[in-house]
Amino acid sequence: MNATPLSRRALFKAAGLAGAAAVLPLAGCGSVPSSQNGVTTLRFMQNKPEVVGYFNQVIKDFEALNPDIRVIQDFNEGNFVPGLVRNDPPDVVTRGFAQATADFVRKGVFADLSDLPAASTIDPKIQDLVSSWGQYNGHETSALPFSLAAAGVIYRRDIFEAQGVSVPTTWDEFVAACEKFKAAGITPIYGTFKDNWTLGQGMFDYVAGGALDIAHFFARLTAKGAAISADAAESFTSNFGPALPKMLELASFSQKGAASKNYADGNAAFAKGQAAMYLQGPWALSQLVAANKNVRLGSFPLPVTNNPADTKVRVNVDMALSITRNTPNMAAARRFVSYLLDPSVVNTYNEKNAAFSPLKEAPAVENPQITGLAASVREGRYYQGATTYFPPSVPLYNYVQAFVYGKNGQQFLSALDDEWRRVAERTAV
Amino acid sequence: MTTTSEMAQASQPAASTVPSKATKRAVRSKNKIDPTYYWMVVPVLALFAFFITLPALVGVFFSLTNYAGYGDWKFIGLSNYVNIFRDPAILQSYIFTFVFALTTTVVVNVVALAIALGLNAKIKWRTGIRTVFFIPMVLSALVVSFVFNYLFSNTLPVLAERFGVTPLATSILANENLAWLAIVLVTVWQAAPGATIIYLAGLQSVPAEVYEAADLDGAGSFRQFLSLTLPLILGYLIINVILGFKGFLGTYEIIVGLTGGGPGMATQSVAMRIFSGFTGGDYSYQMANAVIYFLITLLISVIQLRLIQRRGVSL
Repeated sequence: MNATPLSRRALFKAAGLAGAAAVLPLAGCGSVPSSQNGVTTLRFMQNKPEVVGYFNQVIKDFEALNPDIRVIQDFNEGNFVPGLVRNDPPDVVTRGFAQATADFVRKGVFADLSDLPAASTIDPKIQDLVSSWGQYNGHETSALPFSLAAAGVIYRRDIFEAQGVSVPTTWDEFVAACEKFKAAGITPIYGTFKDNWTLGQGMFDYVAGGALDIAHFFARLTAKGAAISADAAESFTSNFGPALPKMLELASFSQKGAASKNYADGNAAFAKGQAAMYLQGPWALSQLVAANKNVRLGSFPLPVTNNPADTKVRVNVDMALSITRNTPNMAAARRFVSYLLDPSVVNTYNEKNAAFSPLKEAPAVENPQITGLAASVREGRYYQGATTYFPPSVPLYNYVQAFVYGKNGQQFLSALDDEWRRVAERTAV
Repeated sequence: MTTTSEMAQASQPAASTVPSKATKRAVRSKNKIDPTYYWMVVPVLALFAFFITLPALVGVFFSLTNYAGYGDWKFIGLSNYVNIFRDPAILQSYIFTFVFALTTTVVVNVVALAIALGLNAKIKWRTGIRTVFFIPMVLSALVVSFVFNYLFSNTLPVLAERFGVTPLATSILANENLAWLAIVLVTVWQAAPGATIIYLAGLQSVPAEVYEAADLDGAGSFRQFLSLTLPLILGYLIINVILGFKGFLGTYEIIVGLTGGGPGMATQSVAMRIFSGFTGGDYSYQMANAVIYFLITLLISVIQLRLIQRRGVSL
């Protein structure tokens, strides 16, 4: 194998796994309670490097109230799987909740939190977004939502006002708005096709989520397992076909040369007013404001049909709190998670980060950048993006990009069916 | 007679053992290996075995399971291997990698030989120019590819538009049919200096007399190159081709920096697919892919070593 032109990192990783395998019997139950002088040390891993400052303050406040616990923050999510392999994972974890995290849940990595008092303060609709991925032992609550991000179309309020365009509520209105911008010499939508994830979580998720019942589709697809084929009623081919032309229509409203622009280019250009709309989630907002502090932004869910009641917004549980099952510091970890879910902590975080609080008693959103999405979120008219249901081993974003460039929908969907079947085949055995 | 025969009989065992002992000792003392060599080899061997061979064997072991890198797993026999042969995306990555490696090897060697001939000629500021040509070799491939990424995506389209070269007005990295040429170009830019050094060494080993003789015979410079230079540096050419081809089969960083495997699936190399197994929860499947790829590269290496031995060249 040494001659195999594996990347060096791959070799390191393999070496690490082997090393861990060798050390494992020695370490055995190597995780002893990490307490010194009666002070328990917790490791808290969170997935967003940009909010380290906020959590440092939260930890400081928590430690002042709980002098017997010390919390260390780790924002390198990449350490998580190696931690599991070493049998030394962090005690408390926040992760974006999607297929990969759901897989940890199904493998029983996390402890049950259903008896935590804070669990009952969470909006059951939002808790459902987590539990719909499957629960360990069929009933456990492995993760509690901390932050819900809603993504739609970010638009420049100034350009909309100057052109006399109001927020579209149907697909036809949306197309008409794009045509109007185009006629006025304004690029309707800024495209960043070079970063293929922006196509996946943007136009693919929006169009698919607006046209189909995504959760229902993937539930049926998963139930079918490895028996899926392109002509089955549950397949991508049989369900996604009618939605695809709308993706190409969205792509055609993008600027010339979108294929050579990436996410960073897009943020800079959109903040400078080079387009009226941008298919991005709330994570782009702070970047846009950083590029132009006077930019006036709003968001609306992309209407995909001509019935305004159908319009839904793409959401993802951007942070969900979990405690690793084998932590020796369970009591301290539970106290920390309860503190994080205190309304003052969780609501403040979401207010500051243009996200939605998962609590039942959450205050109404006032940030004008996302107020346009609030009604959909409040009424539960939302879906988790189709891309989040895919196992990471499927290079889905590459397929989406190939479709947008090559415009061959038939090939795209049958490739998805094949990939899905192959993953099902090899994980089901 | 009897005495001699008796003596011979008596002395036979002695005679046969004593000299054999002596020869053994002589052989041993002649072949006695200085323990220092063991001190040098054994630790390296142990480190190599522990950090490379053992993990590789662990990888082979897990390729027979459905292990995701964590959590529960069980043996599934050879089905990972069977599934790889039925996976068109994997097969496509093999085709891409081999076409890429072949093309790049040819281009690198043509370019490097041309540069080496130029740098070996009597030109002004030869040392300075040589240094300039070797700079790409000391730069990290990732840095080089990010710089080229910027050039292809931003600078080149602007220039092309200004001068009316419409085919280049959009980034070639965004073109599924041309993106691989960009990767070949950057790889050649990065790899040619290394090959040039080897060719320069080869060219300097050719004695000047043969050219003088050829001049007297009235051979032109092209004829000299074809009939003299090329046969005399053939060993260096073979080394360059073999080392280059093996290296390009493992191409990774430059693709990551330029296209990330896109656009679409156009530039996914085998090494990229294998590495995706670590992040994608697809560890055992891609481990099986790695084993297959190892066997293929092993086969190629054996064939190449045979070729070398036939040519009488040693690496």
